Amino acid sequence: MTWDALIFYLLGAVSILAALGVVAAANPVHSAIFLILCFFNVAGIFVMLGAQFLAAVQVIVYAGAILVLVLFVLMLVDPDDLPEFHNARPVQRIVGVLLGAVLLLEVGLAIVSRTVMGQQGNATPELIALVGGNTQALGNVLFSQYLLPFEAVSLVLLVGVVGAIVLALPERLGAGSPRRGTISLGHPRGADQALAAGPAFETPIVQTRLEREEAASLDGSRDLIMVSDPDEYTTIGKRGRVR
Amino acid sequence: MALTVDHYLFLSAALFIIGMMGVLIRRNILIIFLCVELMMTAVNITLVAFGRETNTLYGQGFALFTIAVAAAEAAVGLAIILMLSRRFRSVDVDEFTILRD
Amino acid sequence: MTAEPQPVWLTFIVAFIIMNVLLIGMAYMTWFERKVLAAMQDRMGPTRTGPRGLLQPLADGVKLLGKEDLIPAAADKWVFFFAPLVVFVTAIVQVAVIPFGNTITVFGHPVNLFITDLNVGALFLIAFGSIGVYGVILGAYASSNRFSLLGGLRSAAQVISYEIIVGLSLVGIFLLTSSLSVREIMLQQQAMLQIGPLTLPNWFILSQPLAFVLFLIAVVAETNRSPFDLPEAETELVSGFHTEYSAFRFSFYFLGEYINMIVASLFAATMFLGGISGPGSDRFWGLGIVWLLVKVVLFLFFYIWLRATLPRFRYDQLMGLAWKVLLPLVLLNIVVTAFIRLVGNGQIF
Repeated sequence: MTWDALIFYLLGAVSILAALGVVAAANPVHSAIFLILCFFNVAGIFVMLGAQFLAAVQVIVYAGAILVLVLFVLMLVDPDDLPEFHNARPVQRIVGVLLGAVLLLEVGLAIVSRTVMGQQGNATPELIALVGGNTQALGNVLFSQYLLPFEAVSLVLLVGVVGAIVLALPERLGAGSPRRGTISLGHPRGADQALAAGPAFETPIVQTRLEREEAASLDGSRDLIMVSDPDEYTTIGKRGRVR
Repeated sequence: MALTVDHYLFLSAALFIIGMMGVLIRRNILIIFLCVELMMTAVNITLVAFGRETNTLYGQGFALFTIAVAAAEAAVGLAIILMLSRRFRSVDVDEFTILRD
Repeated sequence: MTAEPQPVWLTFIVAFIIMNVLLIGMAYMTWFERKVLAAMQDRMGPTRTGPRGLLQPLADGVKLLGKEDLIPAAADKWVFFFAPLVVFVTAIVQVAVIPFGNTITVFGHPVNLFITDLNVGALFLIAFGSIGVYGVILGAYASSNRFSLLGGLRSAAQVISYEIIVGLSLVGIFLLTSSLSVREIMLQQQAMLQIGPLTLPNWFILSQPLAFVLFLIAVVAETNRSPFDLPEAETELVSGFHTEYSAFRFSFYFLGEYINMIVASLFAATMFLGGISGPGSDRFWGLGIVWLLVKVVLFLFFYIWLRATLPRFRYDQLMGLAWKVLLPLVLLNIVVTAFIRLVGNGQIF
């Protein structure tokens, strides 16, 4: 067995085990950690396939940005309920695994019996080395033959950014609905009980001044206030009454 | 035993199917999201492996586009997940039934 | 220009020496920071341990190792164990693509004064710089503490935002050099530039001044240093993501932060200040390393100076700075550089 094959089997085995970990882990944070591990191994596979630039992009975009965002959201949502483990559905599991096995068999047969070969191109390793490396060669292809798709992808990203902002900040656009902000209550353990007993994990952030003073005078305690823009609330000293 | 493109295709198929099983079995919307990302990465391996087989860079170009689209999908998808979990106080996909009822 | 191939064991020896020098440098970085801060605040700094307090890092290490290693009862144990290691390892791995010189001859063997010369070296540095945030966010999650969690969330948002600036501020250099290899970029800066009567080195701080300033700001934010040290703002968050960490595990976070600073300084010196280039460095390789060290110490002094001078940003100011000020400027820099490059190539006009 050559070194190449050995490295491939190592990377492949770890990435498959990590992928199984993603599916099997009870805690979503552990799933995300397994997925990071898997992506690193896939980046290694890309390097073996001579796609160094893609490997770097894989690490920067997938592992460095997307999964950080996933972890960020994981800590903001309420992860106390792990649906699978309240009432497991054996039928769903058995069918899922069975379908997977059947598909794996089919794809495996298709790969083994494959006879079709794509049309040979001219990007042989020697020629790629001549242009200066994988990055330069890929750049040449992207900015000549794939210029239009490249621009289209930039539009997709722009729409994605706009869409994410619209979804995450509905209160800025729709008038009338009360503005609400959450403080991070998504932590599984060590969550403090005093807050959990409050009104449904959320604290209204903008009340009228009258309401706030009323609330303060009722039980003599301050309410927890979060504002999306700290400048809104810097005048508290003049409004008086912080006990 | 030399490495052939088939090895990479098998690896890719295995990762894709593990991701697919995750989507079918799990009910936590965040884990389903992670499994979809896993499936996309598996497809990228196939694209790059075929590109290697035919000595072209088109496979890598396509994989790059897939990653860019995955980034956009992650931004929108996570915003949707965040809003859903705020609204239903749950991450169980079986509870998101307002379009059916 | 490709590097001479050399046996693997030689690369291991070079890597071993570089890593150890880095660790010792990190230890003395803490001493340097204390002394400079003390001087700026009209104090003495450490004086008791050894001459001028030079043994202070050793004393700190012994103290940290001797402390009790506490694990919170509600902690996610495995994640709690390995999160500090992520910060440490990603910090130290980055040095692998930094060149400390060209190929020299030692006892008849050609020796490369760098560990590896990746085709995508600059992307490697950016990637591992951003992977380090997992150590922070996972450690914060695992310690089951509100303050830690808030610190981790802040760190995640901050690093994602500033990573974009770091990456884009280097695009101008990539446009000028047509290469992503750190070594190639360094070699191109050794050429001399004739501007009228002046002969200047082709350092990219001269052709990319805006990118240099933006890179410097973003890199301070990405290493979580003051005035951008929101993830561990002690006035609000006790000590942020490492509130629950003690003894040995805390020391990994500590090591990671300082190694990150040194690596970021090496990165900045190599990309913008010509790395090893300087008077006499083409004649003797040792002088090149001295020049690189001088530049690195300059950047480290700048870090400490910032810490001693500026108050901490508010969180919305931090995010606003990244997205509303730095991002448009860095995009402007790319557009202008690309335009000048096109004109220079004679492709337009």
